[in-house]
Amino acid sequence: MSSHVVSKPISSRGRTWRVVINEDYCKGCGICIMVCPRKCLDFAKYFNSKGYYPATLSKPDDCIGCLLCEYNCPDFAIYLEWEQKKERAKQEA
Amino acid sequence: MAQKVSPHPLADYIRTDRLPFIFCPGCSIGTIIGMVARAMKELNLDLTKTVVVSGIGCTGRASGYFNACAFHTTHGRAIPFATGVKLANPELNVIVISGDGDLASIGGNHLIHAARRNIDITVIAINNFNYGMTGGQYGPTTPLKSRTQTSPYGTIEQPFNLSKLAASAGATYVARWTPLDVFKGVKSIKKAILHKGFSFIEFVGICPTAYGRYNRLGDAPEMLEHLKKIEVKKNVPPEEADFDFNEILVCGEFVDTTKPELTELYDKLILSVKEENK
Amino acid sequence: MSNNDKDVLTGEHFTMGDLACAEGAISAGCRFFAGYPITPATEIAEIMAKRLPMVGGKYIQMEDEIASIIAAIGASYTGVKAMTATAGPGISLMLENIGLAAMVEAPLVIINVMRCGPSTGSPTNAGQGDIMQAKWGSHGDYEIIALAPSTVQEMYSLTIEAFNLSEEYRVPVFVLADGILGHMREKLVIPKKSEIKIVNRKKPTCKPEEYKPFKVDESLVPPMATFGSGYRFYATGLTHNEMGYPDNDPKVYESLVKRLCDKIRKNADKIIKYEEFMLDDAEIVLIAYGSTARSAKRAVIDGRKKGIKVGLLRLITIWPFPGKKVKELSKTAKAFVVPEMNYGQIVREVERFTGTVPVIPFSKLTGNIPLPKEILDVVMEV
Repeated sequence: MSSHVVSKPISSRGRTWRVVINEDYCKGCGICIMVCPRKCLDFAKYFNSKGYYPATLSKPDDCIGCLLCEYNCPDFAIYLEWEQKKERAKQEA
Repeated sequence: MAQKVSPHPLADYIRTDRLPFIFCPGCSIGTIIGMVARAMKELNLDLTKTVVVSGIGCTGRASGYFNACAFHTTHGRAIPFATGVKLANPELNVIVISGDGDLASIGGNHLIHAARRNIDITVIAINNFNYGMTGGQYGPTTPLKSRTQTSPYGTIEQPFNLSKLAASAGATYVARWTPLDVFKGVKSIKKAILHKGFSFIEFVGICPTAYGRYNRLGDAPEMLEHLKKIEVKKNVPPEEADFDFNEILVCGEFVDTTKPELTELYDKLILSVKEENK
Repeated sequence: MSNNDKDVLTGEHFTMGDLACAEGAISAGCRFFAGYPITPATEIAEIMAKRLPMVGGKYIQMEDEIASIIAAIGASYTGVKAMTATAGPGISLMLENIGLAAMVEAPLVIINVMRCGPSTGSPTNAGQGDIMQAKWGSHGDYEIIALAPSTVQEMYSLTIEAFNLSEEYRVPVFVLADGILGHMREKLVIPKKSEIKIVNRKKPTCKPEEYKPFKVDESLVPPMATFGSGYRFYATGLTHNEMGYPDNDPKVYESLVKRLCDKIRKNADKIIKYEEFMLDDAEIVLIAYGSTARSAKRAVIDGRKKGIKVGLLRLITIWPFPGKKVKELSKTAKAFVVPEMNYGQIVREVERFTGTVPVIPFSKLTGNIPLPKEILDVVMEV
């Protein structure tokens, strides 16, 4: 099983998710770090088995679950695992 | 630390046994593969009836990562292969993913003819301005005065504007996006797949390892920042879909029309011939 | 003949070689043609354009020969029997993708109505100069099958045979006709549909999750799933492993290339066909194929009347070459005469198997078939 680094559950506006980073796939390109609107991601201080410095969720509390990191990642290395993808209350009806 | 965690949301659409991708760090091809996979998921495409075709080059490796039927042709021949597949079995969803050199250089003739025929295939052109796989030589979309392995003094050839080329050849859906346009890009790919006719989406991507390095454009985030800076999003007619690498990159949907589609016309032909000969 | 919407036009016809070839394709089940006009194969495209919609098939005229063959490979991968027809210059353009068809094991039939080469040459004159090109044209090691019809009837029956062989061995099969045969008119008898033997490609029987596109049994030919049939698989022109994924491992490369060749080489005895004409006591053996064989046959008959013990080995399969048969004949023959409409192509293959028995080539390069008298003169000199 490759090394998935899973964040703690993060909640915002009735939604809950965990940020998952697959350190074996990450190539340390820096794109997720750049696109994150809240600057929650950074390079790790260690490198993976391929020699890349993978991304790491340095500020989990600032994450808003916008999905830009997941959508922009060229390597399927970062994604959100949803526990509660509830729509906002008025859209539920 | 074996945690129980769900797989990536697109895992069913990708041959995960072949990951990580062979692409360089920051290469746009990976991002666009993700966009196409996302479009397939949102459209709930039957992967056994979806064929992804690609040619030779870095982008050419894309087809091998899809968990659908896929084929890797010889250089430049992805589009005629796709034409043969679609005409022989019009029920298949045929998507071509190929690069600027493969589609516009050696495959240029096939591109304009398929657009002319308006055959119902979707072409995703990933334009990273050079031939990446072979080390970064110039191609038909390389901006003027660029340094590449085969233009050590800077290119002196004018580049194609791929969106304008496809539009003037007769494509009935033409759009252009950058890899940062993740939401609009996925929406556009969905529209292109559902569009009955020749759809062409140009993704202006980055090649930090070859083109970026030789022209001192920085690493992946810096190259993307540059694209973000010159990008102007507006849906305009193709004549206004300008692109100058230093100044302006017009992105959006440029053509969205309907014309009679080849496989439908041929099926009608078969019916009328059979009627006549009864 | 071409206004009929039936797929097998049973009956007697008086027709052109090219038309017989097109009808043979339709009788064999061909439902896709991608081509480009070129003398002297244009008529095949024209008839396919007319007849395929009648039988529910698809015709497309692509922008060039390269596009034609790759579109045919694409169609073949959807499970449809596909073909293209061209002449020498067209084959030259198609060679890269003939190699692709061999590598991805796509069943495909390629008609080459040979004309005078090299280059543009003489489009309206016949030739047999593309024999070696059919076998060695593309780069790398691969094997193909090539058939040479010599009558309009054979243009029909050997095209069907070509489809059967391509389906059985998953290999591109050439039908090497020439301009004279393509355009001459002769009697053609088309049998009843039920009398025509059709071979279809082996389909996989395993579950889609377990399918390995290039995994083989002792037949060396993998069962072929097709796009849209419920299987998802990847095929590439790169050297690949059983799953179809690109694989650079030297052992994988070696076993793949050997298998692509062995599936024809090891089955050569089943594939090879030839016609023996008065060979039992022949001292001089004529080896000929295509239109030349017609004159050669006449030369044998005339020679026998003059008391010369001459016979003819007419090659029906040119590739794989019937080396064993030639070797066997070299034990009893005193000489071989090989008339061809080229400057010596198949004669080189003959020489490989004849040991010390003299082989006399006869080259007719004027664009017409050698006359029986010309062949007989050479025989008499021997």
